[in-house]
This record gives sequence, structure tokens and C-alpha cells, in this order.
Amino acid sequence: MSKNTNSSSTQVIRKRGVLETLWRYRVLELMCLPAVVFFFLFSYMPMPGIWVAFVKYNYRDGIFGSKFVGLKNFQFLAESGKLFELTKNTILYNIAFIILGNLLAILVAILLNEMQSKMFKKVSQTMMFLPYFISQVLVGILVYNLLNYDYGFVNEVLTSLGREKWGPYSDPSVWPVILVIVHLWQQTGYNSVVYFAAICGIDAEIIEAAKVDGANAFQKIRYIILPGLKPTIVILLLFALGGIVKGNFGLFYNIIGTNSLLYPTTDIIETYVYRATINDFNFSTASAVGLYQSIIGFVMVMAVNYIVKKIDPDYSLF
Amino acid sequence: MKKKLLATLLSASMVLGIAACGSSTAETPAPADTTATQTETKTETTTTDAGSTETADASAIDTSEHVVITYMTTGGAPEGNQTDAMLEQLNKILTEKVNAELEVYYIDWTDYLSVYNLTLARMDGTVDLVGTASDWLDAWPNAKNGAFLELSEDMLKTYAPKTWESVSPEHWELCKYDGNIYLMPEDNYAQWTNHGFAYRLDWAKEAGLADGVKSWEDLTTYFKYVKETYPDVIPWDSDGTQYATMVGGWITSHSNYVSIDGINSGAMWGGTKDDLYTVYSPYVTDTDSLVEFAKMMKEWDEIGVWKTDVLNNTTSDNREDFKIGRVAAEQHHTQTWTDLCSHKDGYTIYDDPKAETGFFYFGEETKNLVALSITHGAMAVSAASKNPERALMVYDLIRNDPDCYKLFNYGVEGVSYELTADGMRKTPDGYNSATDGISVNYWWGRNDDLEIKDATMNWDAIEKLYKEYDAIKIDYPYGQFVPNVDDIQSKIDNINDIHTTYMKQIAFGKYQGSAEDIVAEYQEALKKAGIDDVTAELQRQFDELYK
Repeated sequence: MSKNTNSSSTQVIRKRGVLETLWRYRVLELMCLPAVVFFFLFSYMPMPGIWVAFVKYNYRDGIFGSKFVGLKNFQFLAESGKLFELTKNTILYNIAFIILGNLLAILVAILLNEMQSKMFKKVSQTMMFLPYFISQVLVGILVYNLLNYDYGFVNEVLTSLGREKWGPYSDPSVWPVILVIVHLWQQTGYNSVVYFAAICGIDAEIIEAAKVDGANAFQKIRYIILPGLKPTIVILLLFALGGIVKGNFGLFYNIIGTNSLLYPTTDIIETYVYRATINDFNFSTASAVGLYQSIIGFVMVMAVNYIVKKIDPDYSLF
Repeated sequence: MKKKLLATLLSASMVLGIAACGSSTAETPAPADTTATQTETKTETTTTDAGSTETADASAIDTSEHVVITYMTTGGAPEGNQTDAMLEQLNKILTEKVNAELEVYYIDWTDYLSVYNLTLARMDGTVDLVGTASDWLDAWPNAKNGAFLELSEDMLKTYAPKTWESVSPEHWELCKYDGNIYLMPEDNYAQWTNHGFAYRLDWAKEAGLADGVKSWEDLTTYFKYVKETYPDVIPWDSDGTQYATMVGGWITSHSNYVSIDGINSGAMWGGTKDDLYTVYSPYVTDTDSLVEFAKMMKEWDEIGVWKTDVLNNTTSDNREDFKIGRVAAEQHHTQTWTDLCSHKDGYTIYDDPKAETGFFYFGEETKNLVALSITHGAMAVSAASKNPERALMVYDLIRNDPDCYKLFNYGVEGVSYELTADGMRKTPDGYNSATDGISVNYWWGRNDDLEIKDATMNWDAIEKLYKEYDAIKIDYPYGQFVPNVDDIQSKIDNINDIHTTYMKQIAFGKYQGSAEDIVAEYQEALKKAGIDDVTAELQRQFDELYK
């Protein structure tokens, strides 16, 4: 699909009526339909529910019948004096996840692509994919059984080697590293599929031509594959940035649990809000925090998209 | 072809990615029909008001339509079929008397409070009767949120006449919020839910404590002895959730503090036995006591009372382990101890004839003991119930009718229990709790007039302790106080978090630095979060109510 055919088809559209156009692309539209319905049902329909963040929610009066209280539901986050630390933790973790996650995924995708043995390629891909399907609860238990002080695997090994025991569950400083490793272990296989698909989408003829011109494997990667991946990287990055203030609750809650000793380095907005509101079951406060995160996410996406557009309009989302 | 496939995969994965973002922003869907239900129940109430007569004659009530009443309780659903068999028999009686049948809706213990509250918030008529509690199941917040139906005196007189009569006016007074009755209390059932440590009395004696454990210091001696003498036994395989009860217990044992239920899970505000209506928080004032607590818990941690990673320990099953002798103590309430001290099937510690289980209750040193609030267990009617009248009629029967009561509480006679010669109940020979036992967790209207004593319980020990309790107890003084915390909720939320964060480290001796420093840091954080404002506001509301 080159640009020429694109522009000629837009001209065709202008000449014909809207209905005819709709009919003409009926197959494509049908393919879009599930996504459109999905977003309408699960993202647009509940949107008026944002209102719950501004009321004192009462079950019987419902969302719109409850008393309006303005920004009071946001008060508790501000009053905690932790808003900055929590947002900082959340964002720093997400930056680490996004940057390292994508770099590793790209690396794995390229390596997979270069592999000659089909059998080995399939097997290793499947193996890397598997952790993605393990529930976070199980991951939490796995990590605990590996690392706990009294009978954890790591400490068993250390003692049998005559070394001193290691107690990560009472040492906040090591957790950023552990959490990032666990996250990468779980997500890399899945993320690399997207990049692998994009590499497969690069025109084989270009690669053929490069080979004929005498490019070695590294040159091929540097000058053909990486530039070919650029749009995918940018788009995935943009998506990821939208969620930069949304922490991975499952990962943090299941691994750290409620070990307050580790909060200074591991407390993110989600875990804090969970702890603070689990006691009084407050829909409104939880929604207020959700809204706070969504607004920051929205601003981030718009800003980054704007910057990308300035640099190279082809890569921007909209 | 292959490329197309990959392209689809790529786009599919992206859609998934976005979907993940989308669903997390989605707000909880609005219970759209709440207003409708509300008006519906309102009109029903008014019609019943008009139709109710002072005679309260059940036969005059229109029960022509057969209805199903769902009763919600906490606890997992039973595995065997015996509960269903019992319900079948019970429903025959209920159908005959009030043309209704009963179903049980179980809220599993995993995250029970969230699931419980969410089920109530659905307001779609899923449940009719709701087991609730003011101190551990959010009864008042739910009443305030509109989850429970106001029970008018006429309604109670007409549809639950026996319950209405059996509960005294003073007790009904304690079930009111804003002038309306919301709860039907379990106020005729002797039980004690004050916390403490159940421990091996025989081991304590070996350790040189001739009278058993009588103080926290004795506990230290006991744990030390157990650790040295029985290396295979973990003195107390605690999990990280016990911090609040421990520090609460320490304060009860070292002062005359009487806490107010239902403000936060730490019960951090209250008065003293001598001055009940001056609100204070011992967590701010009793600094020396807290420092001493921090030091002792550090000592316990060093002795090895619990596992090193106790704060991440979620897999312990301490109570079951106590029954088979793998641990030496269990921190819970008296009711649990009455079970542990009895020689029941599968309690292998009693294979040793010397074995005995003692109980050290918090407050023993200072004789500081508060009796249970009558709304520790209570029944409410869901505001979304389609048949609130019939729900009340069913409740009246399972609470007051001997046949219904026995069926519902003990199961079918001959299968789940049988009577001994002296009128107590015991399990029949060849009884298997999985297939023959029932479980409806009815803790919201037990009735001592109808109770049959369990012959397997160690009544000698239990009654001895109960007598000791009765001699020193005071009644829960704040039953009528339902704080309005709307304006201070955000402060309380933050105080909760500070309490949890610091107390976990203090109560398990996991803090860095000195005990004085950590307590000072904790109190500083509490002050910053506005604990003094909360105390002042509670005092203001106290003065309104009690002065």
C-alpha cells in the first residue's frame, strides 16, 4: 500500500456518496465493529460515572442522586503528604519498565529473527511467552519462596555454600531491582511478539538487496531492521506513556503485600489507595484517584504526541 | 498470507493493550435501578404501615405468594450436601408457616469485607437478610450508605413479634441511627470476643509459671522456654496482620483504656474506665508504654517467636497447627479459646494427658475488660429486598422457633448431632464433618434460651473463666455513639495508613534504630496527619450525645 493508491482512493470517495462508500468498505467496517462496540461499551458508556468522584456516594440515591461535594474526595490524597512520593515511585518504576522492557523486547525479537533453526526458535519463543500466563498471585508466592529468609531457595543455596543469609524482605533498597527483573521476566516474551511481527513485516526484498550489496548481519540490523521498527517503537511508547501514572497493582501487591518496611521504595499510588480505602469501602475516593491518574495520563499522551508530531509527523498517533 | 496473519496479530495485541488501559479507567457501573427500588420499598412500607394492626397476628398477613428469602453470611460455602438436606427440612416448616423458603448466600473469607460490601452495594435484590456487625462488618457505614432498610416499630411488631418482644427497649435504642432501627441484635447469647493468647498451660508450668501466663512478661518467659526446649515448635507462627490486636492488647493490659468501636480498624480512640467521656488516643499520649512495647517485641523477634519474614508470611495456619502441637500459642479471642481448650476430634495435642490450654486475656493485669457490644452480631434487611416483610417473618422463626432454631444451628438430629443423656449435644458415632456437618454461620441472632450445650466443650474451664470475666467486666459504654466521620474521613484514612505502616514494624520488632526513635517518628506522623483534629471532632460529637 503506497501513498499513491491512498490518495487516489480518497478522491474516489469524494466523488461518490457516503452510503455508497460505507457499502464499499463494508468488510473493513465489519472488522472494525467489535473494537468499536468494545470501546463504546466499556470506555464511553461508563464515562459519566466519573461523576462519582465528586459526590458522597450513597447506594440508594445512586451516582447522580448523591450529594455533590466538589473536590473533597481528592482531599485525602493531598492531605497524606505522600502524593509526591507516590507519584514519583509510580512514574520511576514505569519508566524503568517501559525503557528496559522495550529494549529487551526489541533485542529478543531481533535475536529470534536471526535464529536459523526453526525448531529452536519456536521452542524458545514459547518458553519466553509462558511467564506471561502465570497469575500475579502465583508470581508473588514464587518470589517469596525464592527469597524468604528462613527457608527460601536462595538462602538455602547461600547457607550450603557457607555464605551468610540474605534478607531482602527487610531491606527496602533491593526491591526496585527485584521488581524490575520480575516484571521483565514476565512481560518480555509477550512484548517481543509485537516487535517480531513488525520485523517480519519488513519487505524481504530490501533485506535481500542489502545482502547482495554485502551487508553483514550487524549492518542489516543497524540500517534496515531498526529503522523499520521505528514506527512500532514510537507507537508502543506513546501507548505506554499514557499509563505512566498507572502502577501495576497486581505485581506490587502480590510481591510486597503489606510489608510496611518496604514501602519507602515500593509504595505506588494503587497500593496506597488500596490500603487506605479498603477499610471504609469508599467508591468516591477510589474514583477520584482513578480520575487523577487518567488526567495525568491524558496530558502525557497529548504532550508526547505533540512533540513527536513536531519532530516527524508520520510517527505521531493523530 | 503469513504477513496478513502477523498484521492481524499485531493489531490484536494493540487492541488488547488499549483495552487494558480502557477497562482500568472504567468506573464502577451505576446501579441504575436504585431509585426505582427505593420508591418501591417506600411504597411497600407505607402500605404495610396502613395495613398493620396492633394485634400483630401472623395469620392475617397476606402470604399467598411463595417467596425465596436469601440470607447473606460471611464464611465459605460448605462442601457436603448436609446443609442442603437441612435447608430442605427447614424450608418445609417455613413454607408451611410463612410460605417462604430460605437460601444461604456465602461470602468467602478471602477479602470478605470487600466482597460483602460490594454485594450490598449491588442493590439488586440478591439478598434479603444480611448478617452484619457494628465492629467488624461495617454495619453503620452500610446503614449510612443506604444499604439497609429502616425497620419501623410497626413492621417489627407485625412481622417479627417475638424478636420485638425479646429485645429490650434499651437494646433497640442501641440499634438506631438517626432515630431509625436498622439492626436486630444478638443480645441474648453469652460469648466473649476479647482477645488474648491461648497457650499450653502445661508448658508454662514447666517453664516455672505455676499459675500460667498472667502478664506480657510471663509470655516472654514462656516463649523463651518453648523455643529452647522444643526446637521443632514455632512459638507462634504469626502472620503480618496481627499488629493492631497486639498493640491494642498491650494498651488494654497497661491502662484503663476503653476503645470506641467502628472508627478505624486500630480502634485508636476512646476514654478510660474512670473517665469514659473524655476522648483521647493512647497512641499519642502513652509514649513510655509504647516504647516498652516496641522493646519487648524486638526481644520476641530476637527470640524467634515468629518467622523472620513474618510480614510477608501469608501462608501460616496457626490455629490448626496449635491443635496438632506445631505451635505453642494462638492470638485470638476467648470464643476461639473455648474451642481450643476442649478435647475434640483431631486435636492431637491432647493425646498427651498432661496437655492443657490456658488463656491469657488482654487486660488481665489491670482488670480492664469490656463486655461485647450487642451489635457484634446482628441481622439487617437489605434495602433492595423485594420481600422485606417475609424476610422478617423468616428471621423471627429461625431466631425464636425451637424447631427452626435447632435445624438451622445444629442440623438434622441424628445426622449432624445427637442428644446425650444430660441434654447436651454431641456428634453421632461415625460422624464425618465433611459430609454430615452443616455450615450456615448464623452469628446474628443466636439465642441462649434455645441453645443446646456442646458436650465436647471443656465447660469446667470455660465457666471458670466466664465467672472471672463477669466479676470484672464493664458493659460496652459507647453503644449509642455512631460517629459522623464525613468531615474527618480523609484524616482517618491517612491515620490508618500510618498506624499500619509503623505498627507492623513495631509490633514485630522489625524497626531499624532505637525503640524511642521509632515511636517518636510514629507519633510525629500521626500528629501531622491530624490525629488531634480527629480527637477534637469526636469529643465534640461525644459532648452532643452525652452531655
